[in-house]
Formats: sequence, C-alpha cells, structure tokens
Amino acid sequence: MTIYSLYIFDRHCNCVYYQDWHRAKRPKPAGEGGGILPAVAHAISPQTHYTDPSVQTAFASPRNTLSSTSGVVVAVNNEPASPLPGLLQMPAPQQPAVSQQPTSELPFDEEAKLVYGVILSLRNMIKKLSGRDEQFVNYRTSTYKLHLYETLSGYKFVMLSDHNTDSLRFVLRQIYTGPFLEYVVRNPLVSMNSRERGIDNEYFRASTDRLIRGLSVFP
Amino acid sequence: MAIFGLWVINKAGGLVYQRDFADGLAQLTSNEYLVLAGTLHGIHAITSRLSPTGSSSGAQVIEGETFKMTILLTVTGTKFVLLTSLTEMTADTVLQKVYEAYADAVMKNPFHTPEMPIRSEGFDTRITTLIGTGQSS
Repeated sequence: MTIYSLYIFDRHCNCVYYQDWHRAKRPKPAGEGGGILPAVAHAISPQTHYTDPSVQTAFASPRNTLSSTSGVVVAVNNEPASPLPGLLQMPAPQQPAVSQQPTSELPFDEEAKLVYGVILSLRNMIKKLSGRDEQFVNYRTSTYKLHLYETLSGYKFVMLSDHNTDSLRFVLRQIYTGPFLEYVVRNPLVSMNSRERGIDNEYFRASTDRLIRGLSVFP
Repeated sequence: MAIFGLWVINKAGGLVYQRDFADGLAQLTSNEYLVLAGTLHGIHAITSRLSPTGSSSGAQVIEGETFKMTILLTVTGTKFVLLTSLTEMTADTVLQKVYEAYADAVMKNPFHTPEMPIRSEGFDTRITTLIGTGQSS
C-alpha cells in the first residue's frame, strides 16, 4: 500500500503541480525549454545553477517573485537558460541527494505529457463506449494504479498508487475541496489559468502532504 | 453482473474480432470500434512506460463509473479485451477460456490468415457457449 505521486493538470493541458512520495525511480529533471512551467515542483524544474540555498528556497515560492534575500534583486525564474553571471562563477554542485538515486528514463516534461495523453484518450474512450457522460475512474497495471478526478473547471487530479489499493477518488476530491480551494483558488498570489506558471506554493504543498500522510493507505 | 462485449486486437493494433453480448453500452459502428481498438493499443504501450517503480505491464483493468475493460495480453502480442460491469469477478477466467478457444478454433484453422479478421463459425459457437448470447449471463 503506497502512494507514488500526484499530478495536477489545468484545462490548457499544462501540468501545474507535481508531488511524489515513495517513488523508487526519481523523475528526471525536465530539459530546458522543455515545456514545463515554472512553479510546478521544485525537484523537476530544469536544472539551474543557483548555488545559494536561500535563493533556491525563495524561488520555490511564487510569493517571492521579487525577493532580495541574496542581496540581488532577481525577477523571476522564468529564464533558466541565463543564470546570473555572479552566481555562475561558482562551481555548481548538482543536487546531491537526488542524483544518486536511479531516475526514470523519461524527462519529467515528457512523462507529464504522456500521463495527460493517456488520461485524455481514456476519458474519451470511456465516454464513447458508454454513450453517456461517464467519467474514466482508474486503470491498473501489474505494478501501479492510476486514479483520475476531474473538476467541473477542467482541473484534472491524477494520482499514482500501488496496484492493489482501492479507488482513491475520494482522496483526490479531498485535495480539491481542502488544500486546493484554500491555498490555490483563494490565494490571490496564484495566477490560475495563466498558462505561464504552475500553482506550487508552500502552504498547498505542506497541506497536501499532511493530508496524504494521514491516509490509512499511506505506510 | 453482465458481459457487454469482447474484442480481439492483433499485435499491430487492428481489431480482428468484435462482438456484443448485452445492452448497456452505446451501439457503435464497426469503424468506431476500429478506432477505439487502435487507441487502446497505443495507450496500452504508454501505460507500461509510466511506471513509477521498475518495469510494468501495460494496463490490465480500465474502469469507468459503470463498466470496466479487462485486458489480457498474450505473449504473442494479441490482446483480448472483455467489457463487463464493475461487479463482474470472472472476467479474468473468461478471458483465459476465450484465449483457449482462440487457440483451438482460430489458430489451428488452416483457412485462417494470421492477423486478419476472424471469420470462423467454430470460434463463434465456442464463444457463444462460453459467454452466452448475452442477456442473462
């Protein structure tokens, strides 16, 4: 009984949020300019060469788009291809803990696109086969199970869990009615539907994490 | 407890056999079934690559709100897909028996061209006795 990961997609087909728990193969960071928005998840953003940890934590939060904790005013991390000249001169240690674990063979941006493609095709297939407005709920393979919950506003909550768990749709609904409404929809600093950045923020991440860790299926 | 339909998809993603047993799902044209079978073939390949832990098979059961699709992939790449209600527990054993019937009545038939649509009366009757014409099962 395990929960592997959570993806949230908006109605423009963009992955706006990602979080994982017991994932054996770490997601490979997305390639630069690979179509992943900023502020989706810190672990999978294109690798930038910022070495000062205070800069990194400040950058993880969309609230601090104009943070000056490092003494340099940096606008946003929208341009990973051109890190600041001052920071470039230091030798950049690549994320230590993450790189030692085996990574999946797909970069994260491609993986997110595949997940979205699969749920969209299956959703259409189920609708076509049933002839009604019936939703796709989940599928199961020999090692994992994918659950989908789609809101009326077109947000798709996708969760990957162990293959013998029961339906986790209620959990996805809880994430939507709880943390998502509270810390994303009611958060004036998160620009929804912007097509330019994700919805990641510290409160949402911590609150979702608490909800998932409190589940009985979570070991 | 109902079995709605059975598909056989060849290793290239073409639908070679399709049969309805009970009402409950939409009536589609054979062309639409061909498209759906091709889509399923593609999805099946992708799902095996999305595994968060090690290597995985492709999708085995796909569930909607009122029905599910159980997929049996043989070692030769042929897929048997059974559309049933969610409460149907015998889908796996039925598929295994369909595979046996396929081996006996289709693969051993000297007039059958591999990877082509199955037009075999023997297979039809075997499936009818196995699943029934539908309404009750």
